[in-house]
Amino acid sequence: MMTGKRLIISALVLALVQIGFLSWIIAGRAAILRDGRQVLLKVEPVDPRDLLRGDYIFLSYDISRIPVKLIANVPADKFSSDDTPIVVRLKPGADGYWQPTAAWFGQAPAPAAADEADIVGHVAAGWDLRTPETTIAPDYGIERFYLPEGEGIAIQNDMRVRPFGMRVAIAKDGTAQIKALMDGDKMLFEEPLY
Amino acid sequence: MASYSSRVRADIARWTQAGLIDASTAGALTRDVEANERKSLSFGSILAMMAALLFGAAILIFVAANWESIPRLARVAALFAIILAGYVGGAVLKMRDHAAIGEALWIVAAAAFGGSIALIGQMYHLSGDEASALVTWGAGTALAAVALRSNPLTVAAVGIADAWLFLRGFDYFRRTEFPHLFVVMAIVLFGISFWTRSQAARHLIILSVIFYLVLLAMEYETLQVAIPLVVVSMLLFAAAIFAAGPVDRILQLGGRLPLHALIGFLTGLALIQFQLANEASYTSGFAIASALALAGIAAAIVLGGRESRGLRWVAYAGFAFELAIIYVVMLQSMLDTAGFFLAAAVLLGILAFVIIRIEKRMKAPGVEGARA
Repeated sequence: MMTGKRLIISALVLALVQIGFLSWIIAGRAAILRDGRQVLLKVEPVDPRDLLRGDYIFLSYDISRIPVKLIANVPADKFSSDDTPIVVRLKPGADGYWQPTAAWFGQAPAPAAADEADIVGHVAAGWDLRTPETTIAPDYGIERFYLPEGEGIAIQNDMRVRPFGMRVAIAKDGTAQIKALMDGDKMLFEEPLY
Repeated sequence: MASYSSRVRADIARWTQAGLIDASTAGALTRDVEANERKSLSFGSILAMMAALLFGAAILIFVAANWESIPRLARVAALFAIILAGYVGGAVLKMRDHAAIGEALWIVAAAAFGGSIALIGQMYHLSGDEASALVTWGAGTALAAVALRSNPLTVAAVGIADAWLFLRGFDYFRRTEFPHLFVVMAIVLFGISFWTRSQAARHLIILSVIFYLVLLAMEYETLQVAIPLVVVSMLLFAAAIFAAGPVDRILQLGGRLPLHALIGFLTGLALIQFQLANEASYTSGFAIASALALAGIAAAIVLGGRESRGLRWVAYAGFAFELAIIYVVMLQSMLDTAGFFLAAAVLLGILAFVIIRIEKRMKAPGVEGARA
């Protein structure tokens, strides 16, 4: 049987470990928001959903569809994708929205130029790689936007009639973090650091 | 439980008065009843655990509401405070002999940990799926179970692992790999359950592994999974019956391994039967599997039925299932719909006759110890 004092000490250590772990995640995300490279992506809603976790909208970006011909390092004899990370290089277009210029499975061969940014996504196994015209759909971890309860439907309906943008912060390692939802030039929600 | 112990105490008093037992025996018996009473689940501790689960659910739904009038940093701080107060307060209460309330507070703290993960996902719009959040939550809960040596937290960790298996197993979009990681989780949690002395967790893990194997059989080749499951279950059953003492000293399942083995055996055979029933040339293979299932049920009752009422009832349920599936697959074509009622009546009659006969024999004089 555990003695009383030891039990309380292990409970205290346990609580601090769990709180520390959670704080570490928060600090990491806040750091991306603070220091990350900012890009603007064109966005549209898909598949409305209302789960226990509250109101959120599922989002699809321009960069959620990457043509196979954009991926520079597809092996010639490869039929379908592995379960793998993907690096997508982005460059701002004339309208201010960033567009993909190249992509690599695994890692990029060279760092991005000053006016470019690399975002890291994840590709599921089984996408067709044989035809260059087809597209594959990476996840970037920014496909969900949580809203205060009850506001989801209105914004989603607006998003269907006019273009919305998402300002995204990208860390040095390519991890993306949603920063602000833009209705044209108007900022709808901006995320505080904490 | 309380009613049982008070009844025994009244009996002891009566036996002492009648001169059946002497005063020292009566004292020893009373002490034994009291000692075992404290170990068993009391009504109060069940209520405390239910309150904790409700409180945990309230935390999760509070997070889901994404209530803007409380700043989110305050929400994070509130959850962190619950984690700290729950674990440390629970430890203090457990030390002061309020074990049930202490364990309940630990469950609340573990729920607050899960709620914090959901809240962080909401704050930063993380679209990583629920399943990976569950893995983090389950790992944190398992860590808590080890640190606090807690039986309920071990069961909670197994429950979270099961929820993860369920989410992944029924992910029809198949965006993810088959949840083979569950095997690792099951082994780790099984090991933890010895440290935390959680027999309930071990029972739940064994049943979950059988469920995992069912998912595996549906995903891949049925027979390649089902046949080993049947064989291993038979071996485990034999080991549990013929080496009951040593096996239970190692696994510490309270003598219920035969029950799990029988469930595994019947599940494996049911998978085989479903598979063969769909094939054109089912007749011989299906008949062999069905005969094996019926023989296994009979063997289980003969070998282990006397010691365990639970085993007998699993065997009866398996027997009813076998009667139904054999009827559906082999006889349905011969009988029209009207005959169904006749067949059902006959089958239920057989079932009732068998159960009554066996229960009567198990209660035969000179045999005692019908453990559930």
